[in-house]
Amino acid sequence: MGFLVSFSFFFLALVINQSTVVGQTTAESVIEFPKNDIRDTRSVMISSTNLSITNPANFNDVRDDIKKISLNRKSAVVSYSDPYTGIDTRQHMYIYYNNGVTEFYENWTSL
Amino acid sequence: MGNTDGQFYTIEGLAAALIMLLTAYLVVNATSVYTAGDTHISDMQLEALGTDALTVMDTNQSRYTMSPLRNIITNGTAADNQTFGTMFGNLINNRTNYGMDHIQYSASYSYRDGTDVKQTFLRASRNLSGGEHAVRATKWVFVNKQLGSIPVEDRAVLVEVLMWRD
Repeated sequence: MGFLVSFSFFFLALVINQSTVVGQTTAESVIEFPKNDIRDTRSVMISSTNLSITNPANFNDVRDDIKKISLNRKSAVVSYSDPYTGIDTRQHMYIYYNNGVTEFYENWTSL
Repeated sequence: MGNTDGQFYTIEGLAAALIMLLTAYLVVNATSVYTAGDTHISDMQLEALGTDALTVMDTNQSRYTMSPLRNIITNGTAADNQTFGTMFGNLINNRTNYGMDHIQYSASYSYRDGTDVKQTFLRASRNLSGGEHAVRATKWVFVNKQLGSIPVEDRAVLVEVLMWRD
């Protein structure tokens, strides 16, 4: 009987022992997910699509800005394609983001 | 003469004792102290606050005007930098209670010049001494100005603000 109870004590002690590590790593992985990064980068990429029609040279400059500054200041590799008009008469664009831990890929479609 | 019935009880007692020793070892081994700062929740709240404030500042106030942040960076005068400081400082330090909070900040923006990335200082509420536990909030802003050697055209810059509590 005591033998069986000792198993339950062991299990409880194991749970408490590992709880600190579990809590720490869970909180860190939540903090580290780049939600605001991805939304902000995606927003500036979409805002620049108008330039690809009105001034393609300017669009390339803005794209170089975003790629270079993202790599230099945010440690994220980003790229996006030229917007193209699909058969559905909407603009499409491929967006790619990778900060080494999280990768984001989207085939953006305008409204 | 004697039988071996008692051996089973002995083995059971010894095994239970060993498991209890292992349990005691596990309990003693778990002595890492988990403070409130270890969860980084306060850091995340500060970063969310800074990002929200920058988003508010980068919002057009009407259909025909540019956002305040875009105007501040495009014009780039000392008065504009002061406007940035006042607006940002008020946004992050507003509380529902009376009295203001004590969050300090140091803002700059990064732009591309050819293959280099350069930084321009905007405004700070206090000089950085290096000992602050700061978090960084960033925002991409579209501006129309000459940055580096490329003449005036639409460009993308990254506004970065370091924030810390005093």
